[in-house]
Amino acid sequence: MAKKALSPEERSEKRMMILTPIVAVLLALIIGAIIIACLGKNPFEGYAAMIQGSLGDGAKLSKTLERACPLIFTGLCAAFAYKCGVFNLGGEGQFIMGGCATATCVLGLGLEGPAGLALGLLAGIVAGAIWGLLPGIMKITRGLNEMITTIMLNYVAMYFMEYIFKNVYSDNGLPKTVAIPQSARLPEVLGTHVGVILAIVLGIFTWYVIFRTSFGFKIRAVGMNPIASKVNGFPVRRLVLLAFVLSGAIAGLGGAVELLGKTPYRLADGFGSGFGFDGVAIALIAQLNPIAAIFVAFFFGVLSTGGTMMQSVIGVPTAIVEIIRGLIIIFAVAGMAAVKLPKIKAYVAARLDARAKKAEVNA
Amino acid sequence: MDFMTALPTILKAMTMGAVPILLAALGEVFSERAGLVNIGLEGVMAIGAFVGFAVGKMTGNLWVGLLAGMAAGVLVNMLYAFCTVTLCADQVVTGMAINILAPAIALFGYNLFVGSNSANATGAQMPSIAIPGLSDIPFIGNAFFNQTLLAYLAFILVPLVRYFFKHFRAGLSFRSVGENPHAAETLGINVVRMKYVACIVCGLLTAAGGAFLTLCYTPIYTDGIVMGRGFIALATVIFGRWTALGVLGASLLFGFFDGLNVALQAQFQAAPVMFFKMIPYIFTIIALIFFGSKHAGPKANGQPYFREQR
Amino acid sequence: MTELLRMENISKRFGSFYANKNVTLDVQEGEVHTLLGENGAGKSTLMNVLIGLYQPTEGKIFMHGKEVSISSPRVAVEQGIGMVHQHFMLIDDMTGLENIILGDKRHSSPLLQEDADRKAVEEIMDRYGLEIDLDEKVGEMSIGMQQRVEIMKVLFRGADLLILDEPTAVLTDLEVEGLFDIMRSLTAEGKGIVFISHKMREVMRISDRVTVLRRGETVETVRVADTTEQELADLMIGQKFVENTYKKVTDATKEEFVLKDVSFHPEIKHGGLKDVSLTIHKGEILGVAGIDGNGQTPLAEVVTGLVKPDSGKVIGPDGAEIAIFSPEAFIDAGLGNIPEDRNKMGLVGDMTIAENLVLKQTESDQFSLGHGKWLKMGEIHSYAERLREENDIRCTSVDQTARSLSGGNQQKVILARELEGHPKLLVAVYPTRGLDIGATEFIHNQIVAQRDAGCAVLLISADFDEVLKLSDRIVVLFEGQIMGTYSGANPPIKEISLAMAGK
Repeated sequence: MAKKALSPEERSEKRMMILTPIVAVLLALIIGAIIIACLGKNPFEGYAAMIQGSLGDGAKLSKTLERACPLIFTGLCAAFAYKCGVFNLGGEGQFIMGGCATATCVLGLGLEGPAGLALGLLAGIVAGAIWGLLPGIMKITRGLNEMITTIMLNYVAMYFMEYIFKNVYSDNGLPKTVAIPQSARLPEVLGTHVGVILAIVLGIFTWYVIFRTSFGFKIRAVGMNPIASKVNGFPVRRLVLLAFVLSGAIAGLGGAVELLGKTPYRLADGFGSGFGFDGVAIALIAQLNPIAAIFVAFFFGVLSTGGTMMQSVIGVPTAIVEIIRGLIIIFAVAGMAAVKLPKIKAYVAARLDARAKKAEVNA
Repeated sequence: MDFMTALPTILKAMTMGAVPILLAALGEVFSERAGLVNIGLEGVMAIGAFVGFAVGKMTGNLWVGLLAGMAAGVLVNMLYAFCTVTLCADQVVTGMAINILAPAIALFGYNLFVGSNSANATGAQMPSIAIPGLSDIPFIGNAFFNQTLLAYLAFILVPLVRYFFKHFRAGLSFRSVGENPHAAETLGINVVRMKYVACIVCGLLTAAGGAFLTLCYTPIYTDGIVMGRGFIALATVIFGRWTALGVLGASLLFGFFDGLNVALQAQFQAAPVMFFKMIPYIFTIIALIFFGSKHAGPKANGQPYFREQR
Repeated sequence: MTELLRMENISKRFGSFYANKNVTLDVQEGEVHTLLGENGAGKSTLMNVLIGLYQPTEGKIFMHGKEVSISSPRVAVEQGIGMVHQHFMLIDDMTGLENIILGDKRHSSPLLQEDADRKAVEEIMDRYGLEIDLDEKVGEMSIGMQQRVEIMKVLFRGADLLILDEPTAVLTDLEVEGLFDIMRSLTAEGKGIVFISHKMREVMRISDRVTVLRRGETVETVRVADTTEQELADLMIGQKFVENTYKKVTDATKEEFVLKDVSFHPEIKHGGLKDVSLTIHKGEILGVAGIDGNGQTPLAEVVTGLVKPDSGKVIGPDGAEIAIFSPEAFIDAGLGNIPEDRNKMGLVGDMTIAENLVLKQTESDQFSLGHGKWLKMGEIHSYAERLREENDIRCTSVDQTARSLSGGNQQKVILARELEGHPKLLVAVYPTRGLDIGATEFIHNQIVAQRDAGCAVLLISADFDEVLKLSDRIVVLFEGQIMGTYSGANPPIKEISLAMAGK
């Protein structure tokens, strides 16, 4: 491909957009370090423990990967929808419905073995897609804002799951489902379940669809300018609906993978909890790039699993990790908004101008 | 089961469940009337709940705790205001970030507070004050007229908020900012300042709603104590059509379903009560479908306001 | 009569361009003074100077004989100047009274003094015969009443001089009568009014004097009693001559695209079409002349498939009536479209120039494998490079966003994309609005070349010069109706300019 030559303004804006999340992470880590130091502990020791606890050996690494796996799915779910201008906050609900459908398929129909596994995954995809379709239909036909409807549907899904694990497939009256039979679980490769590989492959595939196919091209165009897309003959409503459905399907598959791949292989309270919003955060920090989302999700996984180790080694609460995560998101959001502010843009432009003039003078 | 015998219990649970939602929803009314959709209520409530609990315990004065909780809520909400009003960041994304950050700070504080001294785990609670005569009314007496002072204040707030939006100059200005900020600016209204004020009020009320949970509802703080009430408050505002009275009705309705769950759960151990819990959410969606997007609240809601754009 | 306002030798310069140059305007008490001029003659700039949005580069403003410096809209209000904008600044969800008293600071109490204010408003209503339902929500009011609320807002704040910017454009005939009654009672009480309108008949009826602006300069101020519509139209248009830059086609006969009695929301004067019939021939440019906002937008939307007309027929290039109104169907049938708003409708600003150039063709074999399953990025890039050369699109790289281009270059991107599709019908709406001379020239040449290659062109423009220069035939659109069809080779300019003003 030809070398990209952009105008200095665009180059600087692009650079700032890429720098923002990195700066956000660093700032958040620094503030985290200050908090640790204020507690009278050594932050370097703490961060070392975090890395040790999440990446220290094969077992820890696979634990981190498995923790990151559902976040990759919900992150991709959010990224794909936003690329089409759809603000899907329902990743959690779609994830949960995927899990519920998989449980029903495997436990309800009593399917075992590869057939159960395959049908379970398929059921997850379909259920997630349907849960994404509902707000899509409401948006297209009644113009309802998907942010509200998807949040509401998250709760409906949550209580539906409660029904599943308390009333339908309860394990001896306990508030959790029977475990998925061994034969229908996702096989392990190199110490982690295959779902992790599936998630990474899906991320690459999503990147390909968005950036290298005509379909993805149209999705992006609709997301950036629906009116021009309509004038230029794209079926905007259909594409928007498809974005809802596909992003729901991605989250639904995530739910299925989580249930079939990760201990305890059951639905119970807290299944999928918070994954939807984490996914949104991941997608935004990754600036809607699916491949970057994989890395951000992995980083979130490191924070989660490493946080526990940090707690046991230097004795600070794991909540610090949560604070760091929250700060990253706040800083990233604020930073990205600030970069786009007219005032800041003007300042950058003026600086560039001055630099150009200086170069002229020097020459 | 005998519904009539269960009714007082249900109604009592209804008012108890309604108050925190009501407070947060009234806060959100201010915010959305000024054009700011704040989905960070959940986080602000968590901060209010924890700080109210901790300061109340430390000082031994629950009212000081409440005020501290409210102040903390304002502080957190200022972060939201700075990002959305000054930096023009996306409101939903910022709110979401608050929802992740604020409960984490609360949990961190709790770990420090209780971790160092387990005697701190349980706080005190505000006493209920029965209004003589009225509290003896069958069915509703105990539910409405035997409550904590904070709950009474919450209910009294409803007509006050209504009066504010109808009869105060500032109330009118608030509404104009959420409907058409550019028109408001041409009439000499300082849109940015209005939005900040809205965030302060929203922070105060929402955090008070959170503090109610630890000062009146249950004497302990646990992670996740807010349990989605912030989002219900959001739905309440839509359901209540952005008015104080509507919000009161909607939060009582949501509280009623809450109470029904409690009663039903006591009656049938394994009944699918979760379907009742779904009702408020499904209700909200149906109401939205019914009202459509045309009457979906302040027109400039959720949009950033760029002053430079004329 | 006493003088209310005098603007002396006002100039306003933007860069090297004078939007106003030595403009002089005075308004007496009790006078309706019309400001007349074509689009871009400098009327809005002058009014923005008056209400404090712009500071004049040169010149003085006097109110009641005293020199004033109007540094902000607030000062303008304090000086008793109020403007009723063409696009209302109202809050739909509030009542009439609430809209009027919003932001007013006459009372020191934090409480609204609705009763006192209502009394004051009702008094003004009575005095001038302004009928407003003060308790109805503005969003539910008729347009006429909304306008009265706007006028009341200005009067309530004590304005002596009212600026009415094209107030009749949105009103029904009956409402126009009502507005005129109000204007008369306002002037009877000594208020002065600056009235902006394009409609000759109304101007003749309501004004006392008329000041004509052309290209930012005052042409003349005349008393209505001493002039005629024809004279005003001449003053406004000036000495027009048809630039014989292009050869005019007079013998095109093959019907390519026909509208028959097409109506679209005919009840809306400003956004509708009423029984519009027109024929565009192969190898011909049909120009639609008219003042902005007389049905151009709905006409463009119908001929590009964005909306379906309420009644009437549209016959496409193959001679069959078009049944499906969607941009896809029209594009498939051979439509090329240069839309009204480049940024909103023509380009996806955040996509690159290259991506915008292949916007409609990503599924073609040239740019992808397997009908869009794998985009050939290299191919797209070199194609974009070629079009960039051919169309003189000035950019650092075809990989920069379309948003970062200047208006002229953005338009070139759209033109290049549309013409590469070899359309049978090219619809160009305001194709050179806001462009510099060089880009305008280039785009005109391209459009004419397209005609010569056998394309049927529909040119919709509010720039009369442009219509005269390019069109082989001209139709005039006024309030959604076709006023007449004229030859483009030797156009009867006077007749056309009167038709544009509704005569």
